[in-house]
This record gives sequence, structure tokens and C-alpha cells, in this order.
Amino acid sequence: MRFQDAAKDARAIVYAGIQADPLVAQVAAGLCDAPPSVILLARAVMSGESDDEATWRAIFPTLLGPLADQAAREAAERVVGPALRIAAKGASVRDQYRGAVVEELTALLLSRRTAAVRRERRVLFDGVPAEIHPYDVTVEEPGRPEVYDCKWGARGIGDDVLHQLDDARSHAADDDVTLPVALVVLDTARSCAVRLDRTYAPRDGTAVVTLETIGALARSAPAPGGPGGSES
Amino acid sequence: MPANGPDTVDAVVREALAAYEDLQATAEAVDDEWMYIQDLTAAHRARLEAIAAEDGDARIDVAVGVAVTAACAEIRRITDPHRAIDWLSTFPSIVAVALGREP
Repeated sequence: MRFQDAAKDARAIVYAGIQADPLVAQVAAGLCDAPPSVILLARAVMSGESDDEATWRAIFPTLLGPLADQAAREAAERVVGPALRIAAKGASVRDQYRGAVVEELTALLLSRRTAAVRRERRVLFDGVPAEIHPYDVTVEEPGRPEVYDCKWGARGIGDDVLHQLDDARSHAADDDVTLPVALVVLDTARSCAVRLDRTYAPRDGTAVVTLETIGALARSAPAPGGPGGSES
Repeated sequence: MPANGPDTVDAVVREALAAYEDLQATAEAVDDEWMYIQDLTAAHRARLEAIAAEDGDARIDVAVGVAVTAACAEIRRITDPHRAIDWLSTFPSIVAVALGREP
């Protein structure tokens, strides 16, 4: 197996501009060490109707209000401003920004354990037709590759992406390469589990990473499986 | 917070579930996702009901009541059904976090 840059079509060129916006990096950097509750805050702000910071401070009293401890407040303060600036962009544009944030966060976390993180790459196997869609994030360590696709929400989980990830994993196995594949979803485990229950695509060999578990990407490749429902 | 705002976990959850029902109605305009919406809302509703069953009589801080009322107002502003589907996942977790739980 080998990796290859994706073709630069017009959509990719426009999207590359969004990926390169410092605002995306700022939000993602703020989320790298954030607890799940702060990731939820960013998720809410970036997809909310209100662009008034005071509203979000009221909605999250345990992060930005009178019930917040210092650590939670500091983490939340790092992301609320940049997230609001993304929210202020037009509806269609901010959809793309949100996707770029998930990808950037994934890449940043992976870069804490490897320098071989790449973006928008295809995976090629001899004798196998190449997939049209590139993978959002890859780790291209010799002998220890990893492949990631990223989604903003549970609704983005579909048969197509699960098949693509599983195909990559199985084709790699045919080449005697162990290829961890994962779907990173910036949504709750509970919602992802509901979505996954509705798919018949193969996923036993795919890891599903959620906002509760995304931080662990910095430590190791995620094991196949998940998400499990969290307790109340 | 208004004097008659929610002041117990049970009251907060009831207020949240009423708003959640309205959000679900908005989301159901997306016919292709109808079954997913039913499953998603059932899962999140069950979680909030479990929190109420566990701690329903517990008094809440004024800020928690304000938070949930503000979150309810936020989701009632949503008119786009696709955005509503996204918020069917986000909103219950916001309520949980306001009540000191994990998302």
C-alpha cells in the first residue's frame, strides 16, 4: 500500500483556504486538552443560532459562569471567542469551517505522537481501484500507518464512509499491513451509537472516536469498536 | 431567573423535554431521517428522564435554571430542520452539563 496526494479540484482548493484559516487552528488548539464538556461548548457555539457571547455564558454556567472551576473556565475561555467567530460566518461556509476544525483537531492530537501526519491523502493498493474520496487525516509512519475520516456530527456516519474505511483496512491486511482505521466524530457517543445501529456496513475493524474519547488520539491509535454509551 | 423558573432537577428536565419535543417536530421535516430522529430522541430523552428519576427533587442553583431556560430559547429559534437534527444531539448534553454531568 502507498499514500498519494488527492487531486486538487476547485472544491479542494476552496476548502484548502478554509483549512488554512488561522481561526480553524485556534479553535482546534483550544480543544486539544479540553474536557468533553468544553468540546460540547464549542460544538454548540459553532452550530448555534445566537451570536451573543452572553447567551452562551448563561447556557454553560459550569464552564463560563458562576459554577465553573478554574480549570474548566480557562479551557472554555480559550475556545468560546474563536468558536463564535466561526459561528458568525455564513451558514454554508461555517459548515465547512466546522469540518475543518474536526480535521485540524484530529491532526493536532496525532501530531503529539508522530511527525508523519498528512491531510487529504488517498491510499492506493496494487490491483485495487482507488477510492475517489481522500482520507481526511493519515499517519504515514513506515510500517505503522493509520487512516482517519472526520465528521462533525453523528448524522455524518454513513455506509459509504464505513465501507471505505473497512476496505482500506482489509486491503492493507491483504498486503500484510496492519492499518488502524477510524472515524472521528465530534459528537456524543450516545448519538453515534444510535446512528451506527442503523447501518449494516462492516465496522468491526473500525474505531469510532467521539468527543468523549478524541483526546486519546494523542496517545495511541484507537482500537476498533466503540462508541459505548456513557452513564448519566 | 424569573421567580417562577425551574428550581429542581425534575423541573429543569421537564422544561428541557418540552423544548426538545418542539425541536424534534422541526427536525422531522427531513423525511429521510424520520426513524433516526425517533431513535436519537428516544435515547437522549431516556437519559434525561433517568437523571430526573435519580435526582428529581434536588434543588438546583439559580444559574442552572437560567442555563436550561436559555438553552430552550436557543433551540426554539432553530427553523432549519437539518440544524435541528444536529441539535437533537447537542441540546440534551447541554442540559446534562448544566446539571453537573458529563455530556
